[in-house]
Amino acid sequence: MRILLAEDDAALRRQLAEALADAGYAVDLAPDGEEAAFLGESEPYDAVVLDLGLPVRDGLSVLRAWRAVGIKVPVLILTARGTWQEKVEGIDAGADDYLAKPFRMEELLARVRALIRRAGGLAAAELRCGPVALDTRTGRVTVDGRPIALTAHEFKVLSYLMHHPGKVVSRTELTEHVYAQDFDRDSNTIEVFVGRLRRKLGSDFIRTERGLGYRLEAAP
Amino acid sequence: MTRSSLVPSALASSSLTRRLFLLAVLWIAPALIITGIILTDLFRTHAEAELSRRMAQHLDELAAVLEVTPDSGVALARDLSDPRFRRPLSGLYWRVDGPGNRVLRSRSLWDQALDLPADTPKDGEVHRHTLTGPNRTPLVAWERSLHLPGAAAPVRAAVIADASDVQAATAGFSRALGLSLAVLAAGLLAAVAVQVRLGLGPLRRMREALADLRIGRSNRLEGTFPSEVQPVVDDLNLLMEENRAMVERARAQAADLAHALKTPLAVIANAAAAPGGMDPAVVAAEADRMRHQIERHLARARAAPTLLHSLGGTVVLPVLRQIARTVARLHTERGVEIQVDGDAQARVRADPVDLQEMAGNLIDNAAKWCAVAVRVTAVLAEGAVVITVQDDGPGIPADRRSDVLARGARLDEAVPGTGLGLTITEELARLHGGSLSLDTSPTGGLSVSLHLPQATAR
Repeated sequence: MRILLAEDDAALRRQLAEALADAGYAVDLAPDGEEAAFLGESEPYDAVVLDLGLPVRDGLSVLRAWRAVGIKVPVLILTARGTWQEKVEGIDAGADDYLAKPFRMEELLARVRALIRRAGGLAAAELRCGPVALDTRTGRVTVDGRPIALTAHEFKVLSYLMHHPGKVVSRTELTEHVYAQDFDRDSNTIEVFVGRLRRKLGSDFIRTERGLGYRLEAAP
Repeated sequence: MTRSSLVPSALASSSLTRRLFLLAVLWIAPALIITGIILTDLFRTHAEAELSRRMAQHLDELAAVLEVTPDSGVALARDLSDPRFRRPLSGLYWRVDGPGNRVLRSRSLWDQALDLPADTPKDGEVHRHTLTGPNRTPLVAWERSLHLPGAAAPVRAAVIADASDVQAATAGFSRALGLSLAVLAAGLLAAVAVQVRLGLGPLRRMREALADLRIGRSNRLEGTFPSEVQPVVDDLNLLMEENRAMVERARAQAADLAHALKTPLAVIANAAAAPGGMDPAVVAAEADRMRHQIERHLARARAAPTLLHSLGGTVVLPVLRQIARTVARLHTERGVEIQVDGDAQARVRADPVDLQEMAGNLIDNAAKWCAVAVRVTAVLAEGAVVITVQDDGPGIPADRRSDVLARGARLDEAVPGTGLGLTITEELARLHGGSLSLDTSPTGGLSVSLHLPQATAR
């Protein structure tokens, strides 16, 4: 899962980026509204954390611009003011959720998780697919109740696939959602991660659709 | 039509004195000019009527002294009584056209042959003709036909007067009148200038009072003013008192906030210096306390300055709908149903932003706790608007309700939020002269009623 974080305060940006990365997200950073607008239009994110008081261009106008060109990425708005007037404006501009500063990091992470799940049409916080379960709250993965240890990249690949059960996901798509923008990408390594996941979770868990990509069997 | 297109640009100038003076000129000048024209015309009419009357008398006299001579001619039995008929070119003439083209003329005509235009007035009629006489003077002739006893044919008798006399008199009158009116205009304008100056006196005094106020010599506008200005002065005084109160309130709030933050800061500082290392739980708890304080003070600070400007009121229902839409979106995952209805005319004495804040907190709170449904109603009741927000959640036992409104208390820490929603709303309601009360909803959940003073539409 890949997230765009648009926040101008350097200290808060670093904290947020760390927390999001720890939670298993690939994170791109935008320190101002223009950069945020550009990244949001050019990269496929799974969620955006958008501060309203961005320099150069304010968050609300960035959000309106995205919605105007049909970018449907779920957006969580951050703001220092927290008035209802601002909430109404934010939601009317197309935001999906709203968080006023100061906030607890767990709350932000919970909201981001919920946004991503909602976008995939998933209701429960624990994603299940056959014997495999992924708890989005804790990042724990189990097979038939047995905990499985995954590396960060294995987790990212599995998490993206489990958020899109039954859907054919190409290697390019996986690459785009697993790596942050400035990461040296190599789609061949995706194959390596998928291979390791198959060893850990069972060989027929991730199907290869020849020439198309990978697919998780939808939960029976 | 806009004001600027109605008023000439000179009037739109910034000086009230100049504006009033120009307006006075605008009505005095045309009034005097029209008066002059009318009076001159009246004078001319009168002078001409007088001339006509006298000439009719002369014509009657001429008719009376005409007689038929034995040779069938006509002659005057005696001279006309006005000596000017005998003085050459005196400006007063007569002429009689007798039978057989024999013409009699007054001596005053001297050697001038004055021809009348061809005309035969009927019996009793007097005709008027305009002629050019000796030295190209304008003349006016009055003529009638006479049947003299023994005469074969009617006789044309005419008296002729110099019209330039009337014109000269009129011109003289007009000059004298113009001069008088000019003097009158000057007098009127001087009076207007004095009137404007005296009339604007209170404004000047007000300016002086304001200057006193600015340099701190007084703290309100002193003195009594005319009844047109007094309300402005009273309003200004009221505004300044409110401003002063607001500044004081702001100072007190800033001090309060600073004070309220000092305690948690001290705890954090102590925690940082603790020999065993900092306890994250202590820091988190104190950060929470500070956050609560800031939220509360912010809410109060936001409400205070807008009180003055909220007299026009806010229509309640659209704001409630807007908030309901937003809250429903924020709680999409739980599928909360928010139903809003009520009196479309209900209008509260509060700023839209404050109403949003109060309604937002209540509806959001209800949406957090409800099972599926939130019901929001707004009704009018005895000068107040009652906004009721009901949920079908677990509700709050009667004996715990006062705790909820206590500062920042939260009955359940599991649901995210600052726990200040109801407290802040209650404070805002009180600042607006309203109140908040808690009750049980028909479904056993919480029912919160927000009473706010009703505003009357301007």
